[in-house]
Amino acid sequence: MTTADHAASNPLPGVSTTKFAFWLFLASEVLFFAGLISAYVLMRIVSPSWPDVSELLNIPLVAANTSILLVSSVTMVYALASIEAGDQSKLRRFLIATAVLGTIFVSIQAVEWVQLIGEGVSVSNNVFGSTFYVLTGFHGLHVLIGILFLFLTVYRAFRGRYTRTEHGGVELMGLYWHFVDIVWIFLFTIIYLV
Amino acid sequence: MSEQSQATVPKPRYLAVFAGLAVLTAVEVGLVFTGAAQSVQVVLLIALAFSKATLVALYYMHLKFEGPLIRIIAAVPILLLLLVIMIPIFDVWIFG
Amino acid sequence: MTETAELSFVRRYVFSTDHKVIGKQFLFTAMGFFTLGGILALLMRTQLAWPWQEIPVIGKLLFGSGGNILPPETYPALVTMHGTIMIFFFIIPILSGALGNFLIPLMIGAKDMAFPRLNLFSYWVMVPAFIVMLASFFVATGPAAAGWTSYVPLSILKDAIPGSEMGQTLWVLSMMLVGTSSILGAINYITTIVMLRAPGMDMFRLPMTIWALFVTAILATFATPVLTAALILMFLDRTIGTLFFAAGEGQVILWQHLFWFYSHPAVYIMILPAMGVASDIISTFSRKPLFGYKPMVYSIMAIAALGFTVWGHHMFVSGMNPLLGLTFMTSTMLIALPSAIKTFNWLGTLWGGNLQLRAPMLNALAFVSTFVIGGLSGIFSAATPVDIFLHDTYWIVGHIHYVLFGGSLFGVFAGVQYWFPKMFGRMMSDGWGRIHFILTFVTFNLIFLPMFVLGGYGMPRRIADPYVYEMFTNLQGLNQFMTYALYVLALSQFILAGNFFYSLFRGKVAGKNPWKANTLEWTLDSPPPHENFEHIPTVYRGPYEYSSPLVSADWLAQDQYLDGTKPPEVMPAPAVSPAAGD
Repeated sequence: MTTADHAASNPLPGVSTTKFAFWLFLASEVLFFAGLISAYVLMRIVSPSWPDVSELLNIPLVAANTSILLVSSVTMVYALASIEAGDQSKLRRFLIATAVLGTIFVSIQAVEWVQLIGEGVSVSNNVFGSTFYVLTGFHGLHVLIGILFLFLTVYRAFRGRYTRTEHGGVELMGLYWHFVDIVWIFLFTIIYLV
Repeated sequence: MSEQSQATVPKPRYLAVFAGLAVLTAVEVGLVFTGAAQSVQVVLLIALAFSKATLVALYYMHLKFEGPLIRIIAAVPILLLLLVIMIPIFDVWIFG
Repeated sequence: MTETAELSFVRRYVFSTDHKVIGKQFLFTAMGFFTLGGILALLMRTQLAWPWQEIPVIGKLLFGSGGNILPPETYPALVTMHGTIMIFFFIIPILSGALGNFLIPLMIGAKDMAFPRLNLFSYWVMVPAFIVMLASFFVATGPAAAGWTSYVPLSILKDAIPGSEMGQTLWVLSMMLVGTSSILGAINYITTIVMLRAPGMDMFRLPMTIWALFVTAILATFATPVLTAALILMFLDRTIGTLFFAAGEGQVILWQHLFWFYSHPAVYIMILPAMGVASDIISTFSRKPLFGYKPMVYSIMAIAALGFTVWGHHMFVSGMNPLLGLTFMTSTMLIALPSAIKTFNWLGTLWGGNLQLRAPMLNALAFVSTFVIGGLSGIFSAATPVDIFLHDTYWIVGHIHYVLFGGSLFGVFAGVQYWFPKMFGRMMSDGWGRIHFILTFVTFNLIFLPMFVLGGYGMPRRIADPYVYEMFTNLQGLNQFMTYALYVLALSQFILAGNFFYSLFRGKVAGKNPWKANTLEWTLDSPPPHENFEHIPTVYRGPYEYSSPLVSADWLAQDQYLDGTKPPEVMPAPAVSPAAGD
């Protein structure tokens, strides 16, 4: 099938079908996290016995971890900029850097979980535990999925699948990664700082 | 797939944006250790989080350079998110 | 385009990416679940008419060990599963899944959905949902029994009722899968409608069915994820012991907020497509343009937008703050405005029309009239002081059935009979269609109109034997009458099924355009070939140009070129393929 006769008038010049759909997917993801955050905020406000998070959690470590995720967003955006300039080797390097930074983030979070479990905080002994593990867990799951797709993108980059004009996959990867970053910006604020 | 239109737009300065994000994060963490009143902290921290998220969305997700339709898709869930979070709070806490 | 012949049977009919096949898969599975949900309703109503008596015919099969009598703990499970199956496995799949899949590419002039493989996935992710939900009937403790709303703590405390054991967990799992399917399908629909319209098919030339499915998909994209989050929290509460909804530290009312944030928009997910279908059918069989096309579109948008702000009206007696209840009451009342605009526009379309009372038209008219009763009864329930009395009585049951059975289901009957020739290439019998309609319409009202009376008396819903309370004993006669009416209604569905399956093989060959309708699907063969359009049509006008003075026939197809018609402005645009990066 020739593609030209399928839809003669693209109503959104410059926006691919997949990118449009991906934004819709991200919009639905926002509301998924809205449900989780709503549960967290309500319990946090109402709970009579919320622990002092600054004693329980290592805020400077998590702040550093947050910065790592922010840096990974920068490397991701430079990966896209590289392929937009047609630079294949920079694309690969920035993608790998992003994946590595993401892995470091998840690893530090895993360490934090292990420490907390060691201190006896479980999902079922108070609502702090329930909300903490579920919110950070679902964010971490999103990061893990992102890392998986980053490695896929790296693989495709090594196969030379992206060009200066055709690099939708890198762009969608970036959108997803920045979205996960934004979710963390909010989770970091409401769980660790407030 | 590519954005021909984007080539004409001046590339945002990604590092400058990152500097902004880093400064805002530092301000956030600093704020917690100032010992300011809890209510002041909450308001400021949430405002700072929104500023950071806006920076990432506008520059890293290129929302600043997208057409109105994509911007609407990005904005509508934020309104609904506020609804989902605020109404239970109003119900249980503020009017409780 | 000729590679179709080479596709194996499995690729063509089982794991097909063709939107028409996927639509038919949704149609047939939904019909199966309609039957199952109907059997549950028959059991419930038999129990309400003659409580704790032997159930005829199927009682021996189902409850043979208990003397053919319904066990008391099974009744709440019947209520729960009837609601769940009818809503999530019948109405939503048949409207959005079957009609949405089949019609969207055909009516906008596209070869397929934007993402055919994602479309395949959104059907096949439903299959495990079907299996899990059906499996829950066979676990030792029975299926979920906390109501289709699954309010906590009933759905969290495993010893509250047998259904709260394994059955409830399976219910939650199945619903998560249904939600996934909904979200993926909705994203696909929105993208298809925005990106793949034929040249000249402006948004304001779309048929109302497509507009309704479009807005429905937006609702599903934004509302369903919140339910998914709530279901996950419930699942974790039930399995690893988190405390989100637990008594004590947890928040019981949080479930209701999150559930209704989805499930009120879901009510519009179930009614808006039927509104679109009725608009198209009423215009076609009145041989008149739809009255007030743009107000109809804006009304749908207004209903959807307001629909996100009204969920608290389900919670007036849940201990929700009364001040918040007042705001929810106000926003709910506002929905009457766009709904009234739609109703008056349907009447305006009929006014002075050349009415052809074919079976689809009769069902569409039934949709309008029962929707009015359902809508007006909703205003009573929306008013907090009235609702405090009516809440959890049969008034509410009557209201939801006037909207979902009277509204959505008559819309489904209308839509399936209207597009049957396009789906299968043959006509359904109009005579049998009318007999089915008359019997269904009359018995429907005989069953559900008395429910408002029962509700006024205060008869509570979800109670197996209301006559244990002396004040309700005088209602048993009316309940028996309603149950007899249901038996007739159930039997008359065999007429529809017989008509459907007979016509599938022996019906009159339909031809391209049996109803002389204007929209693009009627320009194609019946059934349309793989990839629908050999050449993408150009659209010159809106979908409702009936009895146009420009032509001698009383219809004017959307793609018919007339001298002097301004050709559409075709933008030179980047190529968009349905399979791009799917």
